[in-house]
Amino acid sequence: MTQVDKDGLIKILGCVAKVMTENRDLLCKLDAEMGDGDLGLTMSKAFPAAEKEAIESDETDLGKLMMKCGMKMNSAAPSTMGTLMSSGFVYAGKALAGKTALSADDFAKLYMLFADGVAARGKAQRGERTVLDTLYPAADTAAQALLDGAGIAGIASAALAGAQNGLEATKDMLPKYGKAAVFVASAQGKIDQGALAGALFIEGIRDAVAG
Amino acid sequence: MKKILNTPEGYVDDMLSGIYKAHKDMVAPVSDKLRCYHAVKKTPGKVGIVTGGGSGHLPLFLGYVGQGMLDGCAVGGVFQSPSAEEMYEVTKAVDGGAGVLYLFGNYSGDILNFEMAGELADMDGIKTCIVVGNDDVASAAKGNESVRRGVAGIFFMYKCAGAKAEQMASLEEVKILAEKVGSRVRTMGFALSPCVIPEVGHPNFTVGESDISIGMGIHGEPGIRVQSMMTSKEIAQEALDTILQDMPFQPGEQAAVLINGLGSTPLDELYILYNDVAQILEQKGIDVFKVWAGEFATSMEMAGASISVLRMDEEIKALLSKPAHTPFYSNPQL
Repeated sequence: MTQVDKDGLIKILGCVAKVMTENRDLLCKLDAEMGDGDLGLTMSKAFPAAEKEAIESDETDLGKLMMKCGMKMNSAAPSTMGTLMSSGFVYAGKALAGKTALSADDFAKLYMLFADGVAARGKAQRGERTVLDTLYPAADTAAQALLDGAGIAGIASAALAGAQNGLEATKDMLPKYGKAAVFVASAQGKIDQGALAGALFIEGIRDAVAG
Repeated sequence: MKKILNTPEGYVDDMLSGIYKAHKDMVAPVSDKLRCYHAVKKTPGKVGIVTGGGSGHLPLFLGYVGQGMLDGCAVGGVFQSPSAEEMYEVTKAVDGGAGVLYLFGNYSGDILNFEMAGELADMDGIKTCIVVGNDDVASAAKGNESVRRGVAGIFFMYKCAGAKAEQMASLEEVKILAEKVGSRVRTMGFALSPCVIPEVGHPNFTVGESDISIGMGIHGEPGIRVQSMMTSKEIAQEALDTILQDMPFQPGEQAAVLINGLGSTPLDELYILYNDVAQILEQKGIDVFKVWAGEFATSMEMAGASISVLRMDEEIKALLSKPAHTPFYSNPQL
């Protein structure tokens, strides 16, 4: 894959939807220990809704299409994480408006734009035991892979490695947000469930462009 | 699970359809969108007030849409935020040209979505601002008020902000007033039994058969502690000690009191509780302007109650006294 066009975006959303659905029970289980236990349900609702929107829409501008998919995700899953993820798409879509295909350069930027969109909506920073702690490390390693001359598949693999390292690091982070903040002690040594959702998102993208 | 319903998935939409049929003279959906609820009567030039939140708390949130209170409400699934798009649709429907105040409980999903709705409204030239209710004194320590949850005390914010908007105050003025009322109300809740989300089908938290959960939130969020059941006197004492320590009254200041049932607690018990609340307030020399007892913010079929205390001033008293009339709440001029 040398560029991501509309079919590529549909494939990405489909692969992310598949990974989220496969991990639904795990996400719910981790979330129930720290939050209200619906993370797996909302993630497995959000991404199929975005995929459906991308398939059904006749929009060819990839940026606008991402914004539409983001809004549709939000309607399907207006929970905290559903809204954060949808904000990533809306933010990245705004920045990429006018493009009908993403080059390797755009593709690497997409990771950072997505993370920035989530951070802006959630008013959080990395290091606070949130989804950003996988999205930002993924964006960093994706940017480095691009500098190193990687193509789309290489960038996606590097991003996944970054996300997995980031996920591991959340075990030592103290929760500051959400209901997890109430259970600070019991969070010690466990991965953050929001960060896992972020890593699964990055994994789905890799699955879509690697094959 | 034993509930009066047809399908768990249809719980919210069937409830809304019933409300629209019963009260079609007062409320309506925005076109065919059941979850976008607004008052039929619209006053041009008046600041619109929109609330929203998950279902399962009636009469919160939509029950306060009507004359003298709110203009619209975005309705979410049980204990789930409505979407930004639903909030935006309600915003467009109620905007009378003077802007829209978003007034809702302090929960992250609702905040994110209302912020997004505000950005969408801004693109249409509709000015919005946000005030959240964070009256639950048990949900975070003093000094950390900004992370406290919003519960039954938001009723006072709705009532006063609604009356202020009816006086054709500006968006900024209504916002400042809502913040002032919010800063002067505290609530403490006590849960005796859990509740069942229809789509889940069983309680996803428990309260022991002979226990009381002190400070539990209206979605079953953990409170301060769980202990064996207390008497009404002990409940009233603990709630008022906590509330009045957090928000001391100045000599001569009056209080308004809200005794709220969480869903399956008889009114009898609410008045037993008020009897003890009244006695303690009298001992402390706090004069009670008015008492509301009944169901104002429920948690499905949860048993238990919450006690809210509002520290009055002349402005708040005048606004509280204005008449209000909605399908779920009415008062004459007090």
